[in-house]
Amino acid sequence: MEEKLVQAPIPRGLQKVLGVEPQRSSRAAAFTEAFLASSLQQPDNQDLKNLLTHKAVILGYTRPKKQRTKRSSKKAKGLTAQQKKALKVFQIRPEHQRYQLFLPLHDLWRQYVRDLCGGLRPSCSPQFVQQKLLKADLHGAIITVVRSKCPSYVGLSGILLQEFKHVFKIITAEDRLKVIPKRNSVFSVEIDGFVSHIFGSRFEQRASERSAKKFKVHGSIDL
Amino acid sequence: MQDLSRCPRNLLVCERSSFQNQKNRVSAQVEQMHFNYKVSLLLPDCSSAPSHLDKVLKSFSSFYLIKKLPIYKLLNEDFLRSAVYNGSVYGLSYQTHIDEDNCISLMPNGILTLSLDKDSFELLGFEGKPSKFNHRRRSRFVVTVNLTDSCMAPGERRYLRLLEGLKSRLPLQTDFLLSHHPGGGASLDPLLSCCDWSEHQPEVSVRSLTNLSFPVPESCDPHSFLQWLGAVEAGISCENSSNSFLSTLICPEPKTQTDCALSACVSGMLLPQDIQRLIGQLRCHLEQVRSWAVLTVHGFADSPMSWGGREHGFLRGGENFYSLLMSHDHTYQLHLAVGAHDACPP
Repeated sequence: MEEKLVQAPIPRGLQKVLGVEPQRSSRAAAFTEAFLASSLQQPDNQDLKNLLTHKAVILGYTRPKKQRTKRSSKKAKGLTAQQKKALKVFQIRPEHQRYQLFLPLHDLWRQYVRDLCGGLRPSCSPQFVQQKLLKADLHGAIITVVRSKCPSYVGLSGILLQEFKHVFKIITAEDRLKVIPKRNSVFSVEIDGFVSHIFGSRFEQRASERSAKKFKVHGSIDL
Repeated sequence: MQDLSRCPRNLLVCERSSFQNQKNRVSAQVEQMHFNYKVSLLLPDCSSAPSHLDKVLKSFSSFYLIKKLPIYKLLNEDFLRSAVYNGSVYGLSYQTHIDEDNCISLMPNGILTLSLDKDSFELLGFEGKPSKFNHRRRSRFVVTVNLTDSCMAPGERRYLRLLEGLKSRLPLQTDFLLSHHPGGGASLDPLLSCCDWSEHQPEVSVRSLTNLSFPVPESCDPHSFLQWLGAVEAGISCENSSNSFLSTLICPEPKTQTDCALSACVSGMLLPQDIQRLIGQLRCHLEQVRSWAVLTVHGFADSPMSWGGREHGFLRGGENFYSLLMSHDHTYQLHLAVGAHDACPP
């Protein structure tokens, strides 16, 4: 087979047109080899073993466990019931059990109810005042037991200090702290001439929950 | 289907004895029945009332009727000191029905009894017991207070609590019957001065019956005898004639006929002492006449108390009476009868 020409000297006529100088064949060969070496990729087949020994092969993977941070509650954490009992936050010490001390609280309550009903004029309908009183907070009101299944509770009257789910704690004018269960009693709350009778049996919710509760209208309730 | 043959129970206690027997219970029974409404007397073979009997019948003590008495006045100190502590004051609320309204009674031993319905009891706020005759639901409560007790002396806590309850929490106001007090009218002044009152004499009515057939007392059973007696008192004829369909009551066998008989009746608020006197007079009369007589004493149908402080109620009838059949030889038969809402007589 005839060798194909890889390289050939440039014809004289083209030298003048292109403006290049022809080089001698040895120098041209060296140039061509260098050019080819730089432009062609060299596969490094010899390094296969090296390739395999120094490379880590991943067989399987697990994601590292993310540290789940608790959502920090923005409001202050309250005490648990046990802690409350231990600290005796809601106990009123005997030196504080004086009726006179709580009269300003009663005045505050009066102001609060007046604002709640938008000014208690005599022309207000009793229904309206009653509705407001049912949802109002009664701390500081003077309540009286009007009727009760147990005769010894009848007639007790005093300023309401604490309202729990099932009992009222009141302080009487004789400076005695009394605990009255709500069930089976009728209480009367008086504000500016409006007297409201509340059936305790239907009132057995916490004060906070009572504000959201709807009260049905009953004809009359037998204790 | 309701069983109509069953009716509320009645109780009849019978006793047969003699006045000469030391252990006879007549006077004890008479004393125990505090509130007597009517005394009726039947004397066979008698055309007109003998004079001494007539005198006794007319000498029953008078009583006062106070209109709209506020009940807390019964706790008035002067009244307690002058009348109640000495005993022998009888008081009863008038025209209050024991099954509907609140009834009050005051016994001579100083026990004040209030028989209240549920709402009144819950308003009053004084200790009391539920009535023994409540059916399933408690609707009646009885408050019993011993006014002579030391804890009920004026000024004590219990006294003040009851007084406050009757004044402000449950202002009871009823017509009140009050007996005469042996200490005179002045001792009842605290009550009489504040209210409208009137004095009444017990009403006496006498009638004579003709052509009466009556049974032989010793030989007929108590039930039929009492039935015949009631028929005579009510004026129902016991002929059982074929053309009358109103009543089929007959006189129990064996029977005898008499031309005339006397029926006397005294009604009002009668005291046991007067009844004792009447019984004594009757015994004397029977000794002379050699006959027999029947005395029936009815208690108030609406009184809260029956014999000896036992509770009394009204179901279909509030009868609590006793009937004393006396013979000339000082023997007697005593029948005590009560209705459904009553304890057994002693």
